[in-house]
Amino acid sequence: MKPGTRLKSAACDTEVMVIRCADGQIECGGSPMGEAKPADAAPLSADFSAGTLMGKRYVDADGKYELLCVKPGKGSLSVDGVALVVKDAKPLPASD
Amino acid sequence: MDQTRAHPSHSPSGQCGPALPLARWAGRQLQAMAHDHGLPALAALSGAALMGERGSNNGYTINGRISAGLGGSRLLKTRDGGWFALTLIRDVDRELLPALFCDAGFDGSVEGAIGAAAARFDCAELVERGRALGLPVASADEVPVTPAVEVLMQGQNRGRGPTASYGNFAASPARPELVEGRWRSAGADTLRRAQDERRWGKFPAQFSGHRLSGHRPLVIDLSAIWAGPLAGHLFWQAGMEVVKVESRSRPDLIRRDDPATFDLINQGKANVLVDFASEREKAALIALIRRADVVIESSRPRALKHLGIDAEALVREVPGLVWLSVTGHGARGEAANWVGIGNDCGVAGGLSRAMAELTGEIGFVGDAVADPLTGITAAREGLAALRSGMAQRIGLSMSAIAAMALAEERAHDRAAIDAELRAWGSSIGAPFPHVPRRALQAEVRAIGADTARYLPELAPC
Repeated sequence: MKPGTRLKSAACDTEVMVIRCADGQIECGGSPMGEAKPADAAPLSADFSAGTLMGKRYVDADGKYELLCVKPGKGSLSVDGVALVVKDAKPLPASD
Repeated sequence: MDQTRAHPSHSPSGQCGPALPLARWAGRQLQAMAHDHGLPALAALSGAALMGERGSNNGYTINGRISAGLGGSRLLKTRDGGWFALTLIRDVDRELLPALFCDAGFDGSVEGAIGAAAARFDCAELVERGRALGLPVASADEVPVTPAVEVLMQGQNRGRGPTASYGNFAASPARPELVEGRWRSAGADTLRRAQDERRWGKFPAQFSGHRLSGHRPLVIDLSAIWAGPLAGHLFWQAGMEVVKVESRSRPDLIRRDDPATFDLINQGKANVLVDFASEREKAALIALIRRADVVIESSRPRALKHLGIDAEALVREVPGLVWLSVTGHGARGEAANWVGIGNDCGVAGGLSRAMAELTGEIGFVGDAVADPLTGITAAREGLAALRSGMAQRIGLSMSAIAAMALAEERAHDRAAIDAELRAWGSSIGAPFPHVPRRALQAEVRAIGADTARYLPELAPC
């Protein structure tokens, strides 16, 4: 998995851009994310259904993973079953 | 009156530089606003000064593929022969470069690394990925996807608002009309004006100078850096009451980075400081907006929502409120999430490509050129909307405004704009054209100096 890869949720509308990653399994709504959307949607796991927010960066505790939400959805993000959390981001004006 | 010509301008110190392309267009907009609305103060301003004063006052040099001044924007050649504009002004944006270039080991501090990485991709791919990442990027060959100026929605006419509070004599408050070049309320009567001079009363008969009588429109300027604040400055020049609102956690960066320019475009504005983490302060700001005639903001939709401000609800509810949304690439759809600043939006508007076609060498045109073009356009659209009386939200796209200005200038005098672009592109290393330093005409209020006056709800009990 390379930074810059766009991953789609199998369980909801969420899409993320990978900013930083290691060898673990990136998941959304409890199911593995992939570059293509599966034909059959995966069920949304109740444990990973807090939702993703557009433009937020999500990180793990060790700083190995960082994902940017580019399309929000109902699932929440995890790596190997451990939930990611929102990284504090600075707002940016649309214009100079 | 033309402010610039294609020949070099000379400064008292003997320096000279080529004329700033599109300054003549800017000058024509100022003259048209002055003429259409009876605002001589705007006729006294020069397009060349508004577009070039930052570069002139700071001694900027024309740098070709690196933007003038801080040099935060660069033009990079891509694998398919395109040109990719990338602006890096925040450290958090540098963290995104490995993702932009799909390379976990990417080190942007290595000399030439960014240029080498860009050359491995096609331009459109970098632009798409950069925009998804929230980076200010552009292609020299893109066509802006949104109109330059777009009325996104309309609310109520100022003359058809709620009348309950106006008692028996004000069943149908009139909206201002232009009569013989002056603003008047149709059928204005002193009783109504006494009731609420602000919203229903007579629009100032004289915009000129600061000898205003009657109602002075109230402008709330939530914007930052250059484009939005310049629109606010033009409203102030037009005699309006302008309140600049800054965030306690994130004041306008130009205050720190370029105080001289900050002072020029924010002079005379009241200054209010708001803690957007406080519900009470946000509520007080919204109460102030409800009293306003014009709002200027330059936030992405998500940021505005995060601040608790619902632009369209306010425009629906406040009759006559004119809401100006200044954006990089449009206020609607996917493009509303794209970030753009003055230099890369000038590239997205086709200015660098137009120059390259004339000189064979690509480079940035002007200094954050889309900013002043957009500030002037926002003022022009805001004045027309205010005069119409109709509440409305207007989206302004900086990249499309740059493209519009170029197209209009070409239609006006193709030979002149081509000569200016050719001269600009051939002047790498030359200083920016000298423009006389404008003297301050009013006090620059300290940050938060007027908070208590405009947000009285926040006064300690």
